[in-house]
Amino acid sequence: MPEKVVEVENLVKQYKTVTAVDRVSFDIYKGEVFSLVGPNGAGKTTTVEILECLRTPTSGSAKVLGFDLLNEEMEIKKRIGIMPQEFNAFERLTVKENVELIAKIYNVKPETKQVLEDLGLWEARNRQFHKLSGGMQRRVGVCMALISEPELLFLDEPTTGLDPHARRECWEVIRTLKKMGKTVFLTSHYMDEVGQLSDRAGVIVNGKLIVTNTVHDLISQHGGGIKVSVKGRKTKEAEKILQQFTKNVFHDTDIVTGKFKTRQEASKALAQLYQMGDGYRIEIIEPNMDDVFAQLAGHRVDERGELI
Amino acid sequence: MRSVQSVFLALMKEWMRSKTGIFFSFLFPLMLLLIFGTVFGGTGSTTYMLHVQNFDVKNGEATELSKIFINVLDSIEIFEIKELDPSIDVNTYVKENPSFEYNYRILIIPEGFEQNTQGKSMSMRIGVMTDTFTYIEENFGSYMSESDLQTMAEGREELNEWTKLVPPSEGSELTFLADETDMSAMAVRSILESVVNAFNNQLIGVEEQTITITAESLVEKNMTATDYYLPGYIAAFIMTNGIMGATSVISELRRNGTVKRLAATPLPKSSWILSNVLQQTVLAFMLTAVMIIFARIIFGVSALPNLYALLLIFIGAVAFSSIGMILGGVIKDVEAANGAGSAIAFPMMFLSGAFWPLEMMPSYMQSIAKCLPLYYFHDGLRNIMILDNPSQAYVPFLVMGVLAAVFICIATKITKWKEL
Repeated sequence: MPEKVVEVENLVKQYKTVTAVDRVSFDIYKGEVFSLVGPNGAGKTTTVEILECLRTPTSGSAKVLGFDLLNEEMEIKKRIGIMPQEFNAFERLTVKENVELIAKIYNVKPETKQVLEDLGLWEARNRQFHKLSGGMQRRVGVCMALISEPELLFLDEPTTGLDPHARRECWEVIRTLKKMGKTVFLTSHYMDEVGQLSDRAGVIVNGKLIVTNTVHDLISQHGGGIKVSVKGRKTKEAEKILQQFTKNVFHDTDIVTGKFKTRQEASKALAQLYQMGDGYRIEIIEPNMDDVFAQLAGHRVDERGELI
Repeated sequence: MRSVQSVFLALMKEWMRSKTGIFFSFLFPLMLLLIFGTVFGGTGSTTYMLHVQNFDVKNGEATELSKIFINVLDSIEIFEIKELDPSIDVNTYVKENPSFEYNYRILIIPEGFEQNTQGKSMSMRIGVMTDTFTYIEENFGSYMSESDLQTMAEGREELNEWTKLVPPSEGSELTFLADETDMSAMAVRSILESVVNAFNNQLIGVEEQTITITAESLVEKNMTATDYYLPGYIAAFIMTNGIMGATSVISELRRNGTVKRLAATPLPKSSWILSNVLQQTVLAFMLTAVMIIFARIIFGVSALPNLYALLLIFIGAVAFSSIGMILGGVIKDVEAANGAGSAIAFPMMFLSGAFWPLEMMPSYMQSIAKCLPLYYFHDGLRNIMILDNPSQAYVPFLVMGVLAAVFICIATKITKWKEL
């Protein structure tokens, strides 16, 4: 079993009327990308900020990089890199100045050029922070988190508010971090992002961590199976075939969908469907984190992170 | 300390690259200094225009005495004398020159001014002499010899004969015309009256004055009004920079998450507060330097801060920027925080008497002023910088020192470094 870098036990954060984090326990292992996924207000940021020593838990305990959360705050702060939600830096300082400021606070000799080149910001090093695009600003944030050469990185909703292109850019950055051997704690409400990037994920709703597992296991256990859809003229015929292999068949105007628990079951139905000739299209939809979340929470999450 | 220095430099750069920051910290104070300095008598003193129409003309030329009188008026610095030709009708002149219509001041010297004045003067001199004889006789007669009394009686007889030779004169009457709405006319009239009095004395031969007023100033150096108020301006703007500047910087950095980013680093909270206070202090010194240079160039102000003044400026900057940190730390909304900053800074600026003498304000306002920290700040600074009197500044030092300590403690207590 790999080394644990974060151990969280029964963490609670109670505000006057709400329990933002309700008895949350999980572990993060060295070198993995761990995601906390859930809608807005689920308690993701509160959990992250407790581990970053920015909030004090009401009860529970945690160890970060082997140090006790409550008593060894400064030891933890020295060793972690963070990018807060809706990250901002000094607006009129340049990229380089912002990154080097953090290095000076951590009292490390900055490898500014290396870090900025790794994240494709070397050319923009002399541009003021507020003049950068949203995607570039997030990359500056990652540079500021990386400059102190931390063992563990906390990225709180790094892609929220970015356009699709900038989001892809950010994904590449996170993949780079993993290649560099960093442990990354990611929070997100984008299910596809979590599916794409993380090794393991925890699903959190209303302050409660519903499940924690590898992304593959989550999808196979909670994804709700494979969907096979047939579109076109021969939907009636297709429906009959699908019904031979599964009870879960839904018919819309010109589309029929069958849901299968396993790939094996699906492949039998597919073999027959392919015999029908022309005039239709078959679509195979593998389950994803969206389905996992829907299965577990009974809701889906929209683009803005709200439950629907 | 290394991290304090880095954060301080970051704050400094952030401020220097912000146009609004520069405007409110430097340009706005300079603008007000220029306005107040000009209004409250920075450059040259006020002058009053006075038109003089001289009818006392002999053989086409003004008489000697009327010329002397006009020259005397002309030598008074605050008068700008313009002579009007006797042929001009003043009523139409005023109407034809609309710019004079409501602030004309015309002095009319009548015909026969010289003759009448001299005649009256002569009869008055004789009168004075006769009176003198009578006075001596009545008071000292009993001590005088018979022959002396006889001589005096003869002398008086002779004077009486003389009096008959002098043509009778009622003296001369000058006419001063001014619009009744002209506020300055009163001042001009009283100056004219004192000139006429002095003239009268001279004419009856009173050369030496029994009472004189010597104008002296407590301030030894050659100082202008702007000199006097410069410490007030400096104090007021260090205060506004501290309260309004620090408030808006802190609340904005808090809003946009920069504070949270820094709080997540190993930077201690005390270093963050120290960096901000340090930046405001450096700003205060820069502002002092800029104000002094500006005042020297524009108004010829010569005051320079000494070590005590610099120390008081430091204490003031700490006190007021701590208030800013408190406001920025307590009030979440940026607009509300800025509003609160102005709501404290502006009334304090005007109520404390930094811009004008405290004595100009009603007594209850003076009591209010003495409850405001800015009063002690500008009062102390003035005592040190202008009156060169640091020993008189111990109360301001004490008040400001205690306030600085209290405010920075509250700021440290109130600044959130967790649960942001």
